[in-house]
Amino acid sequence: MIQRIAPRKRIIRMLAGLTVVICCRTDLLAQNQSPADPPKANTRSRVTHILGFEGISNNAQGDLSVQGDVLRFQKTEAAAPAQIAVSSIQDVTIGAEDKQVGGVPMTLVKTAAPYGGGRVMSLFSHKKFDTVTLEYLDANGGFHGAIFQLSKGQGQVLGSELEAIGAHVSVLTTETSKQGTQEATNEVK
Amino acid sequence: MKSNRLALAALAAGCLMLQGTLPARVFAEDTRSAAAQWSVQLKKIDAGAVSIEPAFRVAIYEKLLDELIKTKEFHEVLRDGDRTAEGAQHLLILKTTVESYTPGSETRRAVTTVSGATKLRVRSQLCTRDGQLVLEVVSNGNVRFFGDNLRATHNLAHNVASAIKHSTLPDLTASRGNRKTTELARLQYGR
Repeated sequence: MIQRIAPRKRIIRMLAGLTVVICCRTDLLAQNQSPADPPKANTRSRVTHILGFEGISNNAQGDLSVQGDVLRFQKTEAAAPAQIAVSSIQDVTIGAEDKQVGGVPMTLVKTAAPYGGGRVMSLFSHKKFDTVTLEYLDANGGFHGAIFQLSKGQGQVLGSELEAIGAHVSVLTTETSKQGTQEATNEVK
Repeated sequence: MKSNRLALAALAAGCLMLQGTLPARVFAEDTRSAAAQWSVQLKKIDAGAVSIEPAFRVAIYEKLLDELIKTKEFHEVLRDGDRTAEGAQHLLILKTTVESYTPGSETRRAVTTVSGATKLRVRSQLCTRDGQLVLEVVSNGNVRFFGDNLRATHNLAHNVASAIKHSTLPDLTASRGNRKTTELARLQYGR
C-alpha cells in the first residue's frame, strides 16, 4: 500500500511542476510576440543611399539598422555612422522599383550589340528593389527627405522594425501605384 | 596712310564696343550682389491634385535644395521649418506644386526606346514673406532614354534653379522702400 501511494505523489508533484513550467513558458512566448515591445535582435540591411540622408554622399552603400531608438547608417565598420532619432521621423514609405542592372558598362555593351541584341539583353537585365523613403526633421526643425534602396523584401522588414518603435509606416502596393498612374496622367488644368 | 586710318578706325570702334559692354557688366554684377543678399526658404513639395510617389516628392525637394545652393544666387538656402528662417532679414519663399506626373519605366525605355518616359511638370512660385509674388516659373523634367526614373527630378530641379538664376530678383532697396516699384517677373519655361 505504502509502495503504491509513494509513486502517485511523485507523479502529482511532477505534473504540478510541469504545469508551472508550461505556464511560465507560454507567458514568456506571449511577451515575445506582443507588438508593443521593440524587437531585441536588430537586423542590419545592406542598402544603397540614393539621396538625402545628412552627412552621407549620394549612392553610398552601407548598413542600415535600427538600434534602440535611432536609425543608423554606417558605410564601413571604421567609418563614423550617421544617425537620426526615430522620434524625428514623420513618415516612412515603402515602395518598389524595377531597375536595369550593370551600370554604364552594361549600357555600353547593350548599345554596341548588333541586330537589336541590346534590347533583348535589357529584357533580362533588370532587377526589382524595395525603396524606403524617410521624411524627418533635423535638430533645427528643418524638413529632410531620404531615399534608400534595399533588396526585395528587406523594405518590409525595416518598415516593421520602425513601426514597432512608433514610426508611421505606409506601404505602396502595386495596385495603389497603378491607380496613381491613371490619376497622374490626367493633368491638372 | 590709308592703312593707318583703317587701324585707327578699328581701334576707335574697339574702344567704343568695350565702353558699351563695361557698364552692362558692372550693372550685372550689381544686380547679382543685390540678389545674393536674399535668402530663400524652400517649402515642402505640394503634390496638388496629382498622385505622385513620396520618393519623387522627396527627390524634387532635395535636388532643388542642391541646385539652389549651386547657383550661388542666395545668401542662404533654408529648409522648410528651419527655425533660422525666423531671424533672416530678407527672405524669399519658394513654393513648388506638381502640375503633372507621368511615371515611366526604365526597362520599357531600354527595350522600346520610344515609350516609358518619366515626365514631371511643376509650378514654382517665389514669394516674399508677406505673400507678394516675385517670380513664377513652370518647369519640366523628363527622362526619355538613359537613366533611372529619379533622374527626372534632377533635370527638373536644374531647370527650376536655372530659371531663377536667369531672372531678375527684386532689388533690396526697392523692397525696403516703395513695394509697388518691385518688378513682378513672370517667366514660363518648358512650354
